[in-house]
Amino acid sequence: MPKLTIDGRVIEVAEGTNLIEAARQAGVAIPYFCYHPYLSVVGQCRICLIEIDKQPRLAVACATPVADGMVVRSETSDRVREARKAVMEFLLANHPLDCPVCDQAGECLLQDHSFDHGLDTSHMLETRRTFAGLERRMLGPHIVQNQNRCIHCSRCIRFTQEISETAQLTYKARGNGVYVDTYDGTPFDDPMSGCTADVCPVGALTVKEFRFRKRTWKLRSVPSVCPGCSIGCNVWIDHHEKVVYRLSPRENAAVNATWICDYGRFLAESLNRHEVLRPQRQIDGQLQPVDWADALASLGEVLDTASSLRVVASANLSNEELFLVKTLLGGARRADIVVPVWTGEQRRMKNGSGAWLQSLDAHPNAAGARRLGLRLVDHGGLARFLYGAADVTVILDPLAHPFLETDEATQLLRVGTTIVFARLEHPVTRLASWLLPTPSLACNEGTFISQTGAVQRFAAALAPPQQSRPLWSILMALGGELATEELPLRSPAEVFAHLVQTEKGFAGLDWETLAGTTDTAQRERYHGG
Amino acid sequence: MDSILLRARGTPDSQSLTTYLAAGGYNAWEKVLQMTPEAVMNEVTLSELRGRGGAGFPTGRKWSFIPKDHPGPRYLVCNADESEPGTFKDRELIEHDPHLVVEGIAIAAYAIKAATAYVYIRGEFGRWATILGKAIADAKKKGYLGKGILGSGYNLEIVVHRGAGAYICGEETALIESIEGKRGFPRLKPPFPAIAGLFGKPTIVNNVETLACLPHIINRGAKWFASIGRPRNTGPKLFCVSGHVQRPGVVELPLGVSFREIIFDHCGGIRDGHTLKAFFPGGSSAPIMTADQVDVRADFDACAEAGSMLGSGGVIVLDDSVDIVEAAANLARFYAHESCGQCTPCREGADWAMDILERILAGHGREGDLDQILRICTYASNGMTICPLGDAFSMPLSSMVKKLSGEFERRIAAASRLPQKKKPVLPWSGPLPGFGQ
Repeated sequence: MPKLTIDGRVIEVAEGTNLIEAARQAGVAIPYFCYHPYLSVVGQCRICLIEIDKQPRLAVACATPVADGMVVRSETSDRVREARKAVMEFLLANHPLDCPVCDQAGECLLQDHSFDHGLDTSHMLETRRTFAGLERRMLGPHIVQNQNRCIHCSRCIRFTQEISETAQLTYKARGNGVYVDTYDGTPFDDPMSGCTADVCPVGALTVKEFRFRKRTWKLRSVPSVCPGCSIGCNVWIDHHEKVVYRLSPRENAAVNATWICDYGRFLAESLNRHEVLRPQRQIDGQLQPVDWADALASLGEVLDTASSLRVVASANLSNEELFLVKTLLGGARRADIVVPVWTGEQRRMKNGSGAWLQSLDAHPNAAGARRLGLRLVDHGGLARFLYGAADVTVILDPLAHPFLETDEATQLLRVGTTIVFARLEHPVTRLASWLLPTPSLACNEGTFISQTGAVQRFAAALAPPQQSRPLWSILMALGGELATEELPLRSPAEVFAHLVQTEKGFAGLDWETLAGTTDTAQRERYHGG
Repeated sequence: MDSILLRARGTPDSQSLTTYLAAGGYNAWEKVLQMTPEAVMNEVTLSELRGRGGAGFPTGRKWSFIPKDHPGPRYLVCNADESEPGTFKDRELIEHDPHLVVEGIAIAAYAIKAATAYVYIRGEFGRWATILGKAIADAKKKGYLGKGILGSGYNLEIVVHRGAGAYICGEETALIESIEGKRGFPRLKPPFPAIAGLFGKPTIVNNVETLACLPHIINRGAKWFASIGRPRNTGPKLFCVSGHVQRPGVVELPLGVSFREIIFDHCGGIRDGHTLKAFFPGGSSAPIMTADQVDVRADFDACAEAGSMLGSGGVIVLDDSVDIVEAAANLARFYAHESCGQCTPCREGADWAMDILERILAGHGREGDLDQILRICTYASNGMTICPLGDAFSMPLSSMVKKLSGEFERRIAAASRLPQKKKPVLPWSGPLPGFGQ
């Protein structure tokens, strides 16, 4: 492995590493705009200039591979600092400097690098270049373009060429008049269009659904996993004051590199929706609010005395929740448990090695249910299951399968006692004998297993609203009411640790080091997103 | 010196194959087919031929960069984009002796073992693309090109590809992108085209004039070629003299003659009643030279020593009637228009420098403007950009500001402090069609 010196720090890195990545490993931050670890290298922004010993000219770090014995100077070189100042001045010469009204402010590479490497003033006296008609326009259904702010890094163009492969975006015109547009002028309807705003280092491309909703420095980010399909893209839940404002991609080379699809991205708003907010009980055909303590005590009795018990679980539930269901209700209670699954729309994601992952599975955790040995059923299987009679039916997630919305299903569920755990109003919540509030993924923590078998952890961003409680906590409380041996578990982490001991499919795993959550430090914004 | 490259100029029907054959045409090609490619390469290296496109890189050495063990295909590209202001020699060659160019292409292709050669010809050169196309077709009919040429096992197809009007496509990697059907953005180097060029394969890009020298080198030998001109600056060179001379045009002279000879002996001197003020020795991208430098030798090394470059050999002569500020603004306009828009310093810098010069011209110059132009030029050149276009606008502008600073300073001193006029709308940045919002 080549050994080199960067700003006086000696480091050994793998052959073929470029100087930006090598410097990152040495703890030296080389600034960049057009470079992106998952896109091709074009070397056109010129801010990553560095000085290499015995080379008369400055070189761009992004396009220079490491070599043994190389001596590189970044911020320790006067020449480099002067050149970077000049490049910053060039970039800002025509930039509108409208940071106060720009939604990118706070996560803008131009701002950051300007503070770190730019001049305090500009020598620019001329009228700034503007693009008439391109100051604020919808490039596509989700992307708002302000070409005046563009610094021509071509990341968005390369993204559509190399990652989403729609090749919709291109440069038009030339010289200082270059602007970004779709080839044929049609709307930019790429299924991953939101990522172009992520990779955009400035506010030239922003997402319509997020812009102006929250200044980015107020947001707090919590690592999570996209619940949209079985690919299991790693995301950040960006939230502030109990509101989820957006989902943005969290780097994981094996799954989603630094991308998420528009479908997943715009699930963010749905995480704020909570319609069932307190435990309720059907009395005289009316749902009446009840106390959690009373509800749990009564439910324990209902479950203990049921002559036959069936449970419709869901592949949207975490492994910990599924395990608790399996243990508490499936074990001594002898409940018949099914996990309905259905084929949704096809979702695609490109991982860090450039391979497409595809999913037709609309759930994030069907693989987890399978690994826990639960019975997965399709539409027909679920219908047959519900046609069978039972004293007590537990529905853990009405969104588990669209069949539950049908009149056929609701007719079948009118027989016997129906216990429903739900977040949103749904046909089955109206007929529930007991209705218990569970919150969205944003208020939950646990693990999902992606279709490739990776066990991925997600953390809770928000406290559950009002009286709703995560399913795992309800189940554990319920466990205390049931006449069985007690499980001394208090958190998903403890459930997981127990799972590792008891379930073969989870052996050897450790909650603390699960895929995708080892780096919960400040998110790397230099990649965008 | 007798004309070598331009010997067909003045001959009636010089474009036809019959005329070319009667003058001993394609003899060199027949001779080459009996030689090994290595022998051809060796001969060219010995001749010390340097590329005529502008950089003056030794042609034989350039060819030697092709990996020996590459399975192919390899490509030869003839650069006939000729967009440098003040340069019109390749057009002259194609006009008078298209078969000489075709023969040169064939020899170079053989030397690097390429089976396909592309001629990338400037889009505006429609007439000359037709002439070259006809020459290629005629040569193919006679068996000088195509499959199994003249009984040898060698195959060669030549494709004429017309550009679409971008100066930047004369830069070899932008040219390659353009042939591939992409936007003419220069590529990051390394890898150089000799390693991964057209369609990712080893490629050599040579200028028309460079290739036109090859048949003569083969016919008369490397020694003869090296005897013309001066050491390391060998052979005949076409000088395109334009501007305020009595007889502008293309003259062929050995490398190493002085600019005084070119301007005064061969082009009739400066037009009546005027004196020489300055000249560009090698196209508009070369640093300007003033009248006192007229005795500098017109070869690659002497020009470099004098702080300029021979470039393409486009000598642009400016007499005392020229307002140097206006000339600088005009040049800046050209480069701002032709910057591809890829690298920050060139994209922003060319436009910025143009704006400053326009403002000085409009009578609103300020103190510090010249320093700013020089600052832009410093940070847009010398490795700050992917391709040399940054250097191409920086070198002439900074040299004009430095060497003829008096004229700029007089303009600025006489400037008014009246409100500035609005920036002129550039022809390509007007209202864009189709965007109402």
